[in-house]
Amino acid sequence: MKTKNIIQAYKQAPWRLQLQWIGIFLLILVSIAAIAGVYLSLSGKAAVTGRRIQKLEFTVSALELEINDLASQLAYASSARVMSDRAKALNMVQRDPAQAVYLQVPGYSPESFVLAPAPNVDKIPSPSILPEFTSSLWDWLAEQLTQLPDSVESTQEAQP
Amino acid sequence: MNNTSWTRYILILLIFVLLSGGVGVRMVSIQNIPAAQVILENSKNLVGVTQTIYPERGSIYDSQGRLLAGNETVYEVGLDLRSIAQPETIAAVASSVLGLDYSETLVHAKTEAIDNKKLYIVLDSFVEKEKIEQLELIEDDYENRDIGRNETRPSLEGLIWTPYNKRSYPEGDVAANLLGFYAFLDRRDGRGYYGVEESYNDMLAGTPKQVYTPFDPQKITSVEDIPPGASLVLTIDREIQAMVEDQLAEAIDWSGAESGTIVVYNPEDGSIIAMATTPRMDPNYYWTQGEVFPGSTPFNRPISETYEPGSVFKVITMASALDAGAVKPDTIFTDTGSIMVGGSTITNWNYGAWGDQDMTGCMQHSLNVCLTWIATQLGADRFYTYLKNFGFDRNTGIDLGGESHWPLKLPGDNQWYEVDLATNSFGQGISVTPIQMAMAIGAVANEGRMMAPHIVKAIIIDGHQYEINPVIVGNPIKAETAEMLTRMLVTSLEEESSIALVEGYTVAGKTGTAEIPTPFGYTSSVTNTSFVGWGPAEDPKFLVYVWLEKPSISIWGSEVAAPVFSKVVQNLVVLMDIPPDQIRLQASVEDR
Repeated sequence: MKTKNIIQAYKQAPWRLQLQWIGIFLLILVSIAAIAGVYLSLSGKAAVTGRRIQKLEFTVSALELEINDLASQLAYASSARVMSDRAKALNMVQRDPAQAVYLQVPGYSPESFVLAPAPNVDKIPSPSILPEFTSSLWDWLAEQLTQLPDSVESTQEAQP
Repeated sequence: MNNTSWTRYILILLIFVLLSGGVGVRMVSIQNIPAAQVILENSKNLVGVTQTIYPERGSIYDSQGRLLAGNETVYEVGLDLRSIAQPETIAAVASSVLGLDYSETLVHAKTEAIDNKKLYIVLDSFVEKEKIEQLELIEDDYENRDIGRNETRPSLEGLIWTPYNKRSYPEGDVAANLLGFYAFLDRRDGRGYYGVEESYNDMLAGTPKQVYTPFDPQKITSVEDIPPGASLVLTIDREIQAMVEDQLAEAIDWSGAESGTIVVYNPEDGSIIAMATTPRMDPNYYWTQGEVFPGSTPFNRPISETYEPGSVFKVITMASALDAGAVKPDTIFTDTGSIMVGGSTITNWNYGAWGDQDMTGCMQHSLNVCLTWIATQLGADRFYTYLKNFGFDRNTGIDLGGESHWPLKLPGDNQWYEVDLATNSFGQGISVTPIQMAMAIGAVANEGRMMAPHIVKAIIIDGHQYEINPVIVGNPIKAETAEMLTRMLVTSLEEESSIALVEGYTVAGKTGTAEIPTPFGYTSSVTNTSFVGWGPAEDPKFLVYVWLEKPSISIWGSEVAAPVFSKVVQNLVVLMDIPPDQIRLQASVEDR
């Protein structure tokens, strides 16, 4: 009888138990919903990015085709025969080789035409944005700390 | 919890169980109906697509970066059978814009899409951009047209056009013999024929790849990068090539020759500066090849057609004899007008006797008797060893498709007779290609070093330009011999006041007139006329080889080929920025 009374004294009220269960259930539900939300958000962004990449790829392909086409059109418009005909239409006459005048330009030597760089001469592009605008606060602090001994020495040397 | 609550809970549970069971049963039944299999098969098309991507064919440029062969955009027009809304409208538009047959197009447009097997029909290929722009205008017009309440809006839905590359040659027939052509009409198995298109076909074509593109953006893992084929930079200069072709056309017209060839070769590094020949075709219309090159007409004579060169070959004989020490420039030969070798009598071109002649005189007057005597002094073994060293027993290896050579007859062969030593010494009874002659005589112009002829200056792969280094294929003669012979040939041209001379420039050279072999023996009435010359003599920058076949105006190389050489060089020195000797020598003195 004594024992029963003690148990009853520590037993939670039923409405409290229900609330706890509901709370736990809701916590799990919210957690699942949060994880699902994050997953959906990320996968949605990935999907959009994927589509964008595909679209950009198509754009790149289309631009490559257009570049090729324009290069061909330009070559047609400036081909040897077309240029010759245009020169004739402008009443130009072919130069007389005997009348060619040669000027000596000291130090000049014609360079051969290069369409693309030679292998192994790729230069690392220098950054166009100053480091002040790209380094983080921690980077800046670390840099200042590493430079500190140098600046102290230079200050001491400068003193008479 | 009282009994009423439990009853309610159980009732709700039962309702949910029944609903779930109903959904499950329906799902199973839908998956097992015949239509479900069709849907499943069709869905595979919606997952992704596997395509073979053919890389863009590499471009070809001249030495100054001008495009000689590139790619232009054309379109394929087709029907997406699943989305055709108005077959009649499509047939009418395709008929009016593309010139397609209305009835045939209508039949295509009314074709039912058959599951996965027939979803697309090609209506037309290689459609030009202008026509596609017309289609786009019509499509826009249909979309924006004001229509009445009872009218149906016309639609081109289902008619689709896809761009792709087509090989193009902006210069038309200029350098066509060097470029060859790419059979672009065969979009799957097209390849290059002749010229650099053939010899560098694999590099230009690149490597096709099978690419799977998923439609599900979640599954896009990486974007396949398919590099284009390698591009080529040639050694020729378009302006020089066009000039040489113009000069050749003019020469053929003037001389009445059946065909012609001019090779401009750089003896210092073996690069081809220009190579003109007839006939030529526009590679944009390569299907005309049969008409332009009837029968066995070669595509590029300088590398594929052999002929007996005549007296230009005396340069080789004299170089060999001088180098071997069989004769010296001041060796005197008394020409009696004939010489007997192997039972045959050899005479001069005019059947005359020229008396005492030094070696320069023999070359100047192009004396067959003298050169025959020189060959006998040299001896057959040494003579043919020199010919082999000069490369006359093999292809030059020029990087152009279609090169050939005539086998060199050697002592001991069934077909070789003693008289061949005599006739070969002045370029008869031996067949060579112009490129073999240019390479061999190039050794005389280049201090005895014979350079491999080549047409590709550099290759561009993955955005990097790889230069092709010149290759020495041999040193058939010593530098002193080369210098000695060059001086002799300068003198011989100047003393005879040859019409090959170019004012202001010192050139060395030799004419050639060759009788043509026929089934009934050699004919003297029609000849092959040639001229080989190089300059500036003390520091050669070019070697020009001219061959005019069967000219009607004259049978002599000195009257037909020599003036062509002169005209070509007059223009060449300007285009190559080579100042006259006086200015050049003065500049070199000042530099020192």
